[in-house]
Amino acid sequence: MTSEQENRVIGRASATDRQANSSERFSFWLRPDERVNPFDIVDAEHYETSRTFGLVTNIYHTTDAASHLSNLISNDFGEAVEEPNTPRQGTNVAEVAVLSNDKDIYMPVASEARVRFADAEGIQIALGINAMKPEDRVPAGLIQLSNGSQAVAYIDRRYVLGPEAAHINISGISGLATKTSYAMFLIQSILQTMDVSKVATILLNVKFDDLLKIHLPGSLTPEELDMYQQLSLEPREFPKDKVTYLLPEGKHTASTLRPNCFGEPPPRDMTQIYAYDLRTTVGNRKLDILFSHVPDPWDTIGPLIGEITEGIAGNESKWRHIRTWGDLLTQKPLVGNGVPQKISNVAPSTVGRFLRILRRVVKTRQSGVFVDQLATRHKTIANILGKLQGGFTYVVDIAKLTDAEQTLVFGDLLRTIYDLYSEGGVASGWEEEGELPEKVIVFVDELNKYAPARGEAVRSPIAEQVLDIAERGRSFGLILFSAQQFMSAVHPRVTGNAATKVLGRTDAAELGESGYRFLDKDVKMHLTRLDQGSLILSHPIYRQPVKIRFPRPAFKQGR
Amino acid sequence: MPNPLSGLTPALQAICDKGKVLPATGQALIDLLGPDQDETFDRLLTDADEKKKPVEMVLEPPPWKLYHPLDHLPRPLDHVFRYFLDGSARTYFLGTVVERERSSPVQFAQVGAAAVRREADGRIAKAGAERRLILMLSQDHVSAELWAAVAAQVQAIPELTLRNSGEKDQVTDGVQVAEPRFRGAHKANWFMREVELDLGQTLLEKLPEGAWMVLDGGLGKDIIKWPRLKDWDHPPLIGVGKSFSKEPSFKVGGGPGGKILNLYELLAKLDFGCRTVAFGAEGGKKAFWYVRLRPQRELDYPLMGVIKVEMPNPRGEAVPTELIDRLSGALLAERNVTPHGRDSRWHAHLYPISVAERLVKGLFYSEEVLRAAIRWPTI
Repeated sequence: MTSEQENRVIGRASATDRQANSSERFSFWLRPDERVNPFDIVDAEHYETSRTFGLVTNIYHTTDAASHLSNLISNDFGEAVEEPNTPRQGTNVAEVAVLSNDKDIYMPVASEARVRFADAEGIQIALGINAMKPEDRVPAGLIQLSNGSQAVAYIDRRYVLGPEAAHINISGISGLATKTSYAMFLIQSILQTMDVSKVATILLNVKFDDLLKIHLPGSLTPEELDMYQQLSLEPREFPKDKVTYLLPEGKHTASTLRPNCFGEPPPRDMTQIYAYDLRTTVGNRKLDILFSHVPDPWDTIGPLIGEITEGIAGNESKWRHIRTWGDLLTQKPLVGNGVPQKISNVAPSTVGRFLRILRRVVKTRQSGVFVDQLATRHKTIANILGKLQGGFTYVVDIAKLTDAEQTLVFGDLLRTIYDLYSEGGVASGWEEEGELPEKVIVFVDELNKYAPARGEAVRSPIAEQVLDIAERGRSFGLILFSAQQFMSAVHPRVTGNAATKVLGRTDAAELGESGYRFLDKDVKMHLTRLDQGSLILSHPIYRQPVKIRFPRPAFKQGR
Repeated sequence: MPNPLSGLTPALQAICDKGKVLPATGQALIDLLGPDQDETFDRLLTDADEKKKPVEMVLEPPPWKLYHPLDHLPRPLDHVFRYFLDGSARTYFLGTVVERERSSPVQFAQVGAAAVRREADGRIAKAGAERRLILMLSQDHVSAELWAAVAAQVQAIPELTLRNSGEKDQVTDGVQVAEPRFRGAHKANWFMREVELDLGQTLLEKLPEGAWMVLDGGLGKDIIKWPRLKDWDHPPLIGVGKSFSKEPSFKVGGGPGGKILNLYELLAKLDFGCRTVAFGAEGGKKAFWYVRLRPQRELDYPLMGVIKVEMPNPRGEAVPTELIDRLSGALLAERNVTPHGRDSRWHAHLYPISVAERLVKGLFYSEEVLRAAIRWPTI
């Protein structure tokens, strides 16, 4: 694009008695052949030769017709459909939300101010990127204007990984793994722009084998390769020697040695198989997580879980013979003569309910991840994640697990790292191993399963765990990258703590929810028809959300 | 923003110095004129003798018919009219200056004219525009000393002129306005017409080959005397009146079968998409006819939706019927779009003319600006 195209005046600011310009907004009319689109960034001349940058939020067409009736009458009362001799005078008017002024002048843009498309430098000034330290800049996508101008949308690392703010939440119904792709692109971008040894990454694979081939190179289109170049990122897969896959034990793993995952499992030397037996589950105080999905309005199951945990973890005599899930379900002290027994103050009926639920989870409907005894080839999540290493990426596959099992694994994972960091690694004896990575990024899709906005599960142990990470994780270096279709379905304290929000296409009903109040009403409307591959990025440094494009991650994606 | 009319203050100061001023509530008050100004001008600019007797002259070759059906001639088929010209005036009453037993209204007017050019694709572009600011006093009602003092101050401001609101012109007697203040408002319209005619002549000089220009309103007696018009058999210029005098009557046919029709009778039988025969005026130097742009059934009154078309005819000979049909067919195609809702005369208004009108009004300072900007200096 030539500089003449970049410098072309596309219109002039317009203020009327009914539609004034303000410090926050201004309007401009467009020359007849000019085209702008919502989310374009424009540059308006302002006082003291300064420039005010703004985001186009809407464009409307106005004419001198007093009413629709006037237009009907102007077509011979609706009978003429030919082109009129003189088309009605009209213009396209763009509404603009002010982003910034390069001399910090926030007086309203004056009527008649000349307006141009912002150039690459202007886009960065508009978003406040120029004020970011270069070492804090993380490429988060490309902003492309209607005139072809492009600029990299950098986000500030201090607002993604702390200490200023943290966490990223991605919403939308974009489909075709857009949310996961973006999260993975952003993680790679972070890892490529900082000392990788200071960061460990944990990815939950929740669908098919989407994230089970991240060590293999993928195929990218020339356009995507070009985008990587513009972003100054290398299109590369995760290094093979730095990836560990944690795959679940299945019902047939013992005989086939094949873990319970979709597709071809990753190579054995990169794989650990995890399973849950009674003793380690209870001993590691994770039994409560297994009951996260169970309503407990009278708080009866909670005390029972406490009794069992204290008994088994404390190796009390009446629990000492309980070694397996089967033992717990069929033997004293919970069961006598096939009948649920009273334990301390817990009534037999509660014990009976507990047993029915537990049997369903660990026996009748289980995927195979619950075993009687851990074999030598088995690891626990706590084993592996309790010894996190900087520069490593851990993929925890839960795609084939039942909902209760998925909740257990995710809760186990969060509690393990939360305990690890909140206690400075003391609990796991980490201080003997070396230094903990400064930051741990945890990416999970379908967050609404674990921290829902409403229902009984709002107060579940897993939800509490997620809230802990969202609210206090930043101070320890625990960073949550989360995704879900509907932001309103996730606990507002979780999404509220995500300083950076990324939105894909979203339906109008969802956009009416309170969580989207931070968006301008026009921006909301555009979200309903956002292209696939485009996202809206809201970051604390930006005064308004911007539209970005991004390349697919460079690793091989499953399915 | 600086006061755009600060240059007026010394002139007002001169008025205050030489006379006693009774201000109009301290601010400028708009003087409104009735919307039938075009009709008044049309009536007054017609030769006095012609008004008294029926129009007999037909300026079409025989055999002619009183009513002609027209072919709709839209722009893509034949882009006839390319230039459209209109003027506008706004007058403000500032106060009354009293000198001994004499008094004169002090008025300020913004007058201007604008022309638009229509491109081949229908888009409108500005072809020319001019605005003038006029300070008006009735010269006969102030002393020569006061007039000279104000004139001296006004000279220093290029855009501003001092004009005599009591000056006689072709219409002052006709409008029969005795009250000096209302006469000033009419004078402002006459000054507007001067600007309009100046711009029209300028544009006519550089009119591209084949392009026609449309002036808002009648041509009067002065336009048909423009020397440049003699260069053409049929100058590419018409005036289109949306309000016109209802006084004329027409003698149709000779001999015992001939009859006299008043304008109402003539137009009542004029169907949609038809024109009347072209009549002659000013000794044949001007041809005029009527075109019905809209069906009567859609309008409130039979005379609505009819325009009066005037064309200079410097040779004074019959105008070819084909040319009148072509111009009328093209005017018929101009009926859409309309300024309905913005102008009560929308049914007979040509849209590009209304755009030119808006263009010239856009050059004017708003009433709010004027109210704030014009203040009597020492009252």
